[in-house]
Amino acid sequence: MTDHEDAELFARLRSLWTGIDPVPASLIDRMIAAVATDSLTEEYALLTLVDQPLGAVRGEADALTLQFSDGTTSILLHVTSTADGRHRVDGWVDTATAQIVLSQGDDIRSTTPSETGRFVFDEVPSGLTRVRLTAQVGDEERTLSTPQFEL
Amino acid sequence: MIDGVPDADLDPTDDGTARWQRAAVFFGAWRDGDSRAMDDLVRLMTPVLWHVVRAYGLERTLAEDVVQTTWLQLVRGHERVADPRAVSAWLTTTARREAWKVGKAHGRVDTADAEGLDVLLPAQTSAEDHAAAGDESRRLWDAVRSLDQRCQRLLRVVAFDDRPDYAALAADLEMPIGSIGPTRKRCLGKLRALLEPAGGAS
Repeated sequence: MTDHEDAELFARLRSLWTGIDPVPASLIDRMIAAVATDSLTEEYALLTLVDQPLGAVRGEADALTLQFSDGTTSILLHVTSTADGRHRVDGWVDTATAQIVLSQGDDIRSTTPSETGRFVFDEVPSGLTRVRLTAQVGDEERTLSTPQFEL
Repeated sequence: MIDGVPDADLDPTDDGTARWQRAAVFFGAWRDGDSRAMDDLVRLMTPVLWHVVRAYGLERTLAEDVVQTTWLQLVRGHERVADPRAVSAWLTTTARREAWKVGKAHGRVDTADAEGLDVLLPAQTSAEDHAAAGDESRRLWDAVRSLDQRCQRLLRVVAFDDRPDYAALAADLEMPIGSIGPTRKRCLGKLRALLEPAGGAS
């Protein structure tokens, strides 16, 4: 098969996926807004999932370990399922942190970590979840957020 | 052959300039202080990132989040892109890595979702004069779906990423770098074979 025929088939595949799994209507506008807002305010630092070995490990018994970092602050979340189908999130943060907020849509709960950086959220239902924290770096307060992840 | 109308803006050659080159121009202009050039870059590359991320089987909300993470990583870490000509590959590679990590964290490839896409097909055949194109789409979709996951992912990524970073792609798909070319060929070959019996030579 020639490159031209390959290109033609790839063009058909693009049409196919564009048709059956279209980009959500408002996604581009939302991305433009997100980028614009971000470059104006740098409202919160972005934590990203750290890759293996500790980044994301789904162990036995449906336990899940997630590690997020922005290079300065790291947060480790160990998620276990409870008997009633909910989740317990054991967390640890390596920077002095005033407040940890776990949000699932409009459902928001917050806690203050111990002196060693440990914190717990209990009885967390399944769903898309995000964790934000307000860290004290020097005499500056920084708000950091994980991307959404699924419990 | 389906007309490429719906994806005209994704065709890497639609105005004679490859998409990665247009991306480089926008990114260069943004760095030189033209803040609106970033909007053009986001407009140009968001659809590509969407399809690349969705190739990893992420559910739609998570996929949107990965696309956003990718953009924020670019804005916050743009000095890591040494050469503007690399920005397109940097974006797709970052999106793929993020999608890969998120997919792994959730411990599954979302095949159920691919099944769900199916229902979107009949709508395209509603108008009578689109019926032929609709049948064509249906046959192509059926063929694509009978490929293994790796082929489906590779073909979707390559279809939308006009300049894939083969080394990163190989790492993401857990394949040796040298085998991407042959695998791509094998996947295309399988797809053609699947398309043959129902419609004759294409």
